[in-house]
Amino acid sequence: MTLSRRNVLAGASALAASTALPMAARANDPLGVGFVLIGPVGDFGWSTMHDVGRRRMEEVLGDAVTTTQVEAVAPPDFDRVVTTLARAGTRLIFTTSFSYFQPTLRMAEQFPDVMFENATGTATRDNLAIYNARFYEGRYIQGVIAALKSQTKQIGYVAAFPVPEVIHAINTVMRGAWSVDPEMRIRVVWANAWFNPGVEADAARALIDQGCDVLCQHTDSPAPLQLAEERGIHGFGQASDMTRFAPNAHLTSSINNWGDYYAARAQAMIDGTWAPADTWGGLDSGMFQLAPFTNLDPEQASHAERVVAGLRDGSIDPFAGPIVNQAGEEVIAEGESLDDDAIRSMNYFYQGIDVSMPG
Amino acid sequence: MRLTLDRRDGAGMAGLFLSPLLAVALTLASSIVVFWLLGQDPWRALNVYFLMPVSDFWGVQEVAVKATPLVLIAVGLALCFRSNNWNIGAEGQFLIGAICGGGIAVWTQGWGGPWVLPLMLVAGMAGGALYALIPAVLKTRLRVNEILVSLMLVYVAELLLDWLVRGPWRDPFGFNMPQTITFAPEATLPLLFDGGRMNLGTVITLVVVVVATVVMARTLKGFEIKLVGEAPRAARFAGFDDKKLTLTVFAVSGALAGLAGVMEAAGTVRQLLPGFSPGYGFTAIIVAFLGRLNPVGCLIAGVFIAITFIGGENAQIILRLPRDMTLVFQGMLLFYILACDTLILYRPRLVPRRAPA
Repeated sequence: MTLSRRNVLAGASALAASTALPMAARANDPLGVGFVLIGPVGDFGWSTMHDVGRRRMEEVLGDAVTTTQVEAVAPPDFDRVVTTLARAGTRLIFTTSFSYFQPTLRMAEQFPDVMFENATGTATRDNLAIYNARFYEGRYIQGVIAALKSQTKQIGYVAAFPVPEVIHAINTVMRGAWSVDPEMRIRVVWANAWFNPGVEADAARALIDQGCDVLCQHTDSPAPLQLAEERGIHGFGQASDMTRFAPNAHLTSSINNWGDYYAARAQAMIDGTWAPADTWGGLDSGMFQLAPFTNLDPEQASHAERVVAGLRDGSIDPFAGPIVNQAGEEVIAEGESLDDDAIRSMNYFYQGIDVSMPG
Repeated sequence: MRLTLDRRDGAGMAGLFLSPLLAVALTLASSIVVFWLLGQDPWRALNVYFLMPVSDFWGVQEVAVKATPLVLIAVGLALCFRSNNWNIGAEGQFLIGAICGGGIAVWTQGWGGPWVLPLMLVAGMAGGALYALIPAVLKTRLRVNEILVSLMLVYVAELLLDWLVRGPWRDPFGFNMPQTITFAPEATLPLLFDGGRMNLGTVITLVVVVVATVVMARTLKGFEIKLVGEAPRAARFAGFDDKKLTLTVFAVSGALAGLAGVMEAAGTVRQLLPGFSPGYGFTAIIVAFLGRLNPVGCLIAGVFIAITFIGGENAQIILRLPRDMTLVFQGMLLFYILACDTLILYRPRLVPRRAPA
């Protein structure tokens, strides 16, 4: 074959076609979305609900996305897992724990073309968004309901770690309870684990023995609620609707619902409109929901419904001043309200809460 | 009828080399069946599991990062197990090593110098050795079972680490999360290559493997360890002090586990936090036996186990298989090695049940 102009042209256009084709195909390729989970997918709590969210995203977006999930990733393995995800073509990675926040910052710097989203993190970057739900709104409602149900005026709280997320939740439960009955008191046992059914049950047992007759839990397994059922008192479910674990004890549960957020963020990637955001969604956002009230009489239920409506429309603000801490110092004055950063870094209990910070 | 096991004659060498190879082959064969049942192309799956982790230099470095603590701990355990001393608490010694070394990193934050890292390594080794001496002393002085003591000291070490990172050593800017500060550069092991995470710890581990091999093969100490393990009476007649040896091997294995701990803290994680070890001290027991209690064998076995770990992550990422597959893999491997060992060394025989008297 001689090299004629026609051949050269044909060759050039063939070359152009062959390079253009993968480009076009790439545009239509599904978006690779990765999830790094702190626990096993079957914990019935935090990690399970992220998995439910992932599947919801797949349902909404169909063939437009492919998802990849890596479970129970220990801190020393985090960098490798994220690097492998990035090399496998994943362009959006959700890291679903505060424990991953620092490592995610590091990896976001290393992979500027991959977009990261960290659940419950505290800062954003050009390619790092953070997201969380205002679970404290559910805690306020739990406090209200607990005060309506309790005979002994004592709430038991099975807590994981003294991180701000848990501390502001305990404070908010009491604000809710005091809105009904200023005599309400709270006891806290630290389980030092997010998921450890044995320890959680022991903590619940200790609280009930000390006279608490409504249990709140800030740990992920159904064990505390099951113990409430066994001992004939009441409790709240965590992360998913736990009615089935305790049909007679269950009052309501906060149900984590990440799916719509995940779908929206992935859609934004596909549309090219993704931007780093700091999302902190409340009851009105649907990022978490309340399970139907159970074991409440109609009057109690309608009281709780009014509180839900108040939180939704903003007429009830759980962090409105005045707030006074245990040391007696006024943190915020009447007429003002704590901003998000102050809530996110809360490191003190309110006056009237007889609990000391461990450690 | 009942089943008895009779010792086969002259199966020693075959058992030594054939058994692990056979076990690996059987694991591979079984996993092909499992992959096929899961609807995966078995060849692709095996490729993802075993070849992808070592298909490029970055991957090889990651395997080295994962294998380093396993090999280092396993070499120490092999010395222990060879002399019939059962140190099951390497996980605890690993954590104590990390605590001793990490404590220096926390303490010298802001005013340290180039002396910090060597001091950390020495402190880690000393901590691990002293911690391992507790079960050894109790065994030699009071004849307390070393398996139980060393195992239970793991929980003590875990709780100590837990308390330290929640209390006195907690990062003041860490939002109350149970973790220390991130170590300063002078308290971290230097990385060997850009773009990878392999650090000086891997080199130190390779040196330890060579030294241990020489000690076992060429020195009187090595002979003593083997003799005490295989023929304790003969060893006593030969004048070896088995109590002193118990203290020595426990101290050495504790020091190596402690070194692994401080190198993991200073090299890979760069801070202390609970859940800092994914059970390296326990996995190393498997590595030691898979490696036939031989230092070079431990190196090969450690690399193999590290590859299955990383292969398991790859399988989650590329094949979307659950993490449980990795656990099934490791379970099958252990099962086959025990079965092969038993059936190569012993002959199963059905004998009639004796009539009740």
